[in-house]
Parts: sequence; C-alpha cells; structure tokens
Amino acid sequence: MGLRVPAGGRITLRSLAAALLALLAVGAAARAQDRAPIVIEGGKGKTYRIAVQRFADRSTPQSDERITRFREALQNALEFSGLFQRIPEGAFLGPLTTESLDDGAQIACPDWTQIGADALLQGEIARDAQGFRVAFRVWDTARCRDLMRRRYMQNATANPEDVARRVADDVVEAFLGVKGVSSTEIAFVSDRSGNKEIYVMEADGSNVRKATANRSINNFPNWSPDGQAIAYTSYRQGNRPLIFLSSRGKLRPGRLLQSDGRSQYRAVFDPVGERLAVVLSNGSSSEIVSVDTDGKDVRRITQSQSIEVSPSWSPDGKRIAFVSDRTGAPQIYIMSAGGGDERRLTFDGAYNTNPAWSPDGLWIAYETRVEGQFDIWLIDPDGKVNVPLVTNERSDEAPSWAPNSRHIVFSSTRRGRADLYMIDRDGSNLRRLTGDAGNNTAPAWGPFPP
Amino acid sequence: MRDGQQDLRKREFRRFVRWSAGAHVAVLGVVMISPGFHSRFDASQVIAVDLVSLPASALAPSAAPPPPPSAKPVPPAEEKPAPPEPPKPKEVVLPKNPEREPQKPKPEAKPKEVAPKPEKDLDDLLADMRKDAGETAPAPKPVEQAAVPAPSAAAGAGTVKVSPEVLAWMRKAKLKVRSAWVVPPGFRRETLETHVTVELDASGALVGDPKITQRSGNPWYDESVVRGITKASPLPPPPSAGEWDFVFLPEDASL
Repeated sequence: MGLRVPAGGRITLRSLAAALLALLAVGAAARAQDRAPIVIEGGKGKTYRIAVQRFADRSTPQSDERITRFREALQNALEFSGLFQRIPEGAFLGPLTTESLDDGAQIACPDWTQIGADALLQGEIARDAQGFRVAFRVWDTARCRDLMRRRYMQNATANPEDVARRVADDVVEAFLGVKGVSSTEIAFVSDRSGNKEIYVMEADGSNVRKATANRSINNFPNWSPDGQAIAYTSYRQGNRPLIFLSSRGKLRPGRLLQSDGRSQYRAVFDPVGERLAVVLSNGSSSEIVSVDTDGKDVRRITQSQSIEVSPSWSPDGKRIAFVSDRTGAPQIYIMSAGGGDERRLTFDGAYNTNPAWSPDGLWIAYETRVEGQFDIWLIDPDGKVNVPLVTNERSDEAPSWAPNSRHIVFSSTRRGRADLYMIDRDGSNLRRLTGDAGNNTAPAWGPFPP
Repeated sequence: MRDGQQDLRKREFRRFVRWSAGAHVAVLGVVMISPGFHSRFDASQVIAVDLVSLPASALAPSAAPPPPPSAKPVPPAEEKPAPPEPPKPKEVVLPKNPEREPQKPKPEAKPKEVAPKPEKDLDDLLADMRKDAGETAPAPKPVEQAAVPAPSAAAGAGTVKVSPEVLAWMRKAKLKVRSAWVVPPGFRRETLETHVTVELDASGALVGDPKITQRSGNPWYDESVVRGITKASPLPPPPSAGEWDFVFLPEDASL
C-alpha cells in the first residue's frame, strides 16, 4: 500500500502526519470493513405468498366439485396458519392444475417468482373404494427446489376438507419445522343453550358441536393426549361438582372417580394419558391428587392446608405447575409430579393463576390480575423471563396451548361477552374464534389428530 | 443620585455590548478566512467514528434475568436455584361461586407494572443516523460513519471507513433484503441471530448459494434467512463485486 500524497505533491509535516494517520485508519479499517455486516431485522406481519395449484384428480369418476372444495379448504387452512397468503389463480402464469408429481418433474420457477409466489403447492388426489389418497409437493420458488413431498391414504369416507387440513398442516411444517394446527380441535364451555355445556369445534372456530347436553353446569374440559376423551367437571349428579369423562375411544365414559364427600374441581390428563391430576376440595382447603384413568389408585400430590388448584403437567410428565395461596394470595408453583420439591415460580403481581405449560416445555402461560382484570403472561419454567402476551383493559383468561406450541387460545371479555381468541406465541395474529352466541370460556386445545 | 448611577451603568453596559459584538465579528471574520475553516470538510480528510460495539444483549437478548417488562423470552438455558419459599399458611374461605376454581380469595391486586413500549430499535436509530449522514454529506466527500452496529461480540468493534456510496448501497441492500425476508410467525421474539455471506456479481446478483457463517440454533429460522436473501437477488449493484456479510435478527415484537 502506497502513501497517498495530497494534490500538489508537496509533502509537508502536516500532510505527512495526516497520511500516517490515514494509513493507520485504513489498515485497521480494511479488515473490519470486510466483516462489517449489514444487519437485517425482520418485518412484522409478513407471510409467504403461496400458489396452490388445483390438485390433479386421479379418481374414477373424477369430481370437479371435490377438487374445488379440497382446494378452497386447503387455501383456507394455509391462511389460518398465519404463515401463508394465497395467490389468486387469475394471476397464475404457470399451469393452474398440477401436471405431474414425478420425481424428475421440474417447474418453471420464474413463472412463479414473477407473480410474487414464495411457494408453490402441487398435488393429486384419488378417491376410490380403497381410500382417499393424496400426494403433494411443496416448492421454494426462490431457490427452485422442493421442500417436501408426501403421500398418504385416508379412509374412503374422509371428507375433502379434513384431508385438505392435513395437507395444509404438513405444508406449514415444511416452512416452520412444526406442523400447523388446522386439523386440531378445541373444546370449550358455552352457555349458548342456556346451560353451561361442553362444546367442541375445529381450531378455526368452524363446525361447533355439543359434547355434553345434561342441562346442568359443566366446566374445565381437558383432552386426553390421544384426543379420544375429554375430562370435565359437572354438576350433573347433584349439587357437588364431580369429574366425568366423555369418550369416543377406549376410555369408559361417565364418572371418573368415586366421591369421598369432597368436590372434584378439575381433572387434567398427564402427557401420556395414564393418569389425571384432580383437584379435590373440602370447602376450606383444596389439594391435588392423581388418579389413573379408571379413577383408581388415588395418590396425594400436595400436602398443605392451603388452597392448591390448577395443575398443569410439564410435557415430560415429571413436574406439575399449580397455584397455591399459601402466602396469602394465589401464586404459581412448580413441584415434582409425585409431590414435593416445590418452588415458587411467580413473584411479580399479587394474583397469578391458571398456569398452562407449553407442549414444547419452554413456557408457562398464566393469568395475572391487573386492576381487577386478568392479563395473560408467559414465564419460562426457571422464572428468568416473564413477559406479557395479552393485555387489555378487559379480562383475558384461561390460556391453553396449541399442540405445536405456536399459538394460544384464551377467553376474553373484550367485546363484552366472553369469546375465544387465539394469538401467536410472539403476540402476533390475534383472531377471534367464537362470537355467534353466548359466553364462551375455558378453552382446551386438543392434540394433533392420530 | 441613584438615577445618575443607573444611567452610568447603562452606558457602560451598552459600551460593553458594542465592544463585545465587534470582537465577535472580528474573531468570526478571522476564522472565516482562515484555511482551517474551509478545510474542515476537505475531501482529503476523514472523520473517524468508532464502529459501535454493542453488548450482545442489546441486539440479541441473553438469557440473563432481565427485568420482566422489557425482557425478551429466550429458551431457558441453565438451571437456576429455586427461589426461597416464603411459606405462610393461612386460612382461606372457599368462594361461593362453584364455577370458579376455589383459588380466588380477594386480596387487592397490586397493579402490575405495565410493560413499557419498547424503545426505538437501536438499529433503526443507527439507520436514521446513517440516513442523516448520507443525505447531508456532500457527495464527493468521503465521510466515515458507524457503518453498522456490530450485532455480537463476534463481529467486534473497530474503526470502519465507509464511503457514502457504500453506505447508500448498504441502505438499499438492507431495504431490499428486509422486504424479501419473511420472518416466520412465532420466531419474532426469540433470540436468534444468523450470519450469512453472499457473493455478489457487479450487477448485484447472487453468485452461488448464500453461505451461513453463524447458525442461529434454529434450522427453520436459518432456512427462512437463506430463502429471504435468495429471493432478494438481484440486490442493487454493489460498490464492488465480491463477498458481503449480512446478519439477520428477528424483530422484537412490540406488544
């Protein structure tokens, strides 16, 4: 590197000094500049734009209507994820219908990038006596490579919408690493019929149907991990709340455990579905016990004279988060699943309750009371990070995690009546799921379908 | 008597003001015609600015226990000793409403601290500073600026000399990449940082695949980054073809 001489060529003491300084500066800078990065910070509210081709119909006979229904459901489910936005087919430069899914089949990526597509979804379906077969392929158009290829068989009676949701949840996985949840269900409590009954709906709020119809008071639904049963609290047998099971699988429906004279407030399945944590109350204190799914083998977990409620299992089943008022006000604690080894988790706020452990184990969502209303916060199980997720001048309550740990459903009175809303874990994508009728509370997000 | 003294003082004061004004004008005149004044913006000179060296926590929050409202969630990294238990058994009356769980006695809740609005993003502030500098600096005169904040200790601190042309290009490149990159929902509040090196030709088009030089720990996030910068190609024509480094941080969602 040569010394730069100022114009005129006269080397004065001053210019020499300046040159020396410049040399030092340049020497130091050249290396650093090579490494000086451009820092990009992600923008909010952006989604991948996806072109969804009409899936080729390999059935006999073919059905245009089925293909259309399938595609509409698929695009709706993709948008429900919050990750994708559809590109209207009128904008397509490439073929509207999938031509081939063969391994060697290529696509003309510029046809898709030119219309702003980040992704292309191709596929085919075939419905016959054997079943409902579907195959698809997802492309990253910018890099012009496929991200996922899958094919599976559903039973022949499956409707196109259900199959489409499965596909959409897989496409989410191709981009996020975790499945979407459009094919999951949410159980909740609604008084729309005049009584508090348990209802079940699709995760997007559609297809609401009753799970109980006993005209008493029913509350706190909780799914078995296989999605085949719901435990809930009900006054259906007298003036004392007892735990019942509603089942569409192997578990026996009806009363879960015999009454010992105490009220049974809430039952929560462990992550493998072998035992349930149950809250029992004698009127002045309450404790948490665990029982097997036949209501036998009752084991005490908490041993105190205070009120201890709201159990929530860690995903590995080794710990339970719960609420105790042992210090005079409800706070969240964590103990080992067999009892003992207790430690207090929440110290901020005078009133914290309703913990919900995320399926990935990273967070515990809970309610905290602020000026008489509840907000929803997230705390990590070590208590190091504690952040607001949903804040509002009205109450936001009863958080429940989606099985992919990316969303939370909760109940809010922000519109007056209580309705269910979902929000992403990072506080984005708030959406209302109910709103037709009644007060809708106590949501429980079900597991992925088998 | 008193009036006379006041008049005298006023006259002295006016004289002082006139003298002072004259002196200022004179000094200003001397400064104006001196070569030093003009040469302050001389093309051959360079203003050195230290590359801002941020603590890693400023841009990529660490797992250390931050105050709750401003804290950013990070996956728990290490075990923390259990906080001391303050057991204080107390009799509590079960609430009458059977619909509520019996955990709700009525202590008056102390209003919780409300999370303050997150401060303006440091990088945005620096971007603004760069913008100002870029627009006020006369075109042919190189100005040295804090080019970009060092996102981590790894990027290091130092003095970086960046010409306005490079600065302007970096700004344009940043805009293009930022608009092309989709941060998957759910990642925005996580502590993720991916470093990528791309090779650009003179037209700004990517040559070959982007190289990840530092992974975030979340392969799906890294994928989104590679997808984003690939989609951004071609970038605006760079000052020089060759390798350029990018760092991708998820946005801190404001709640």
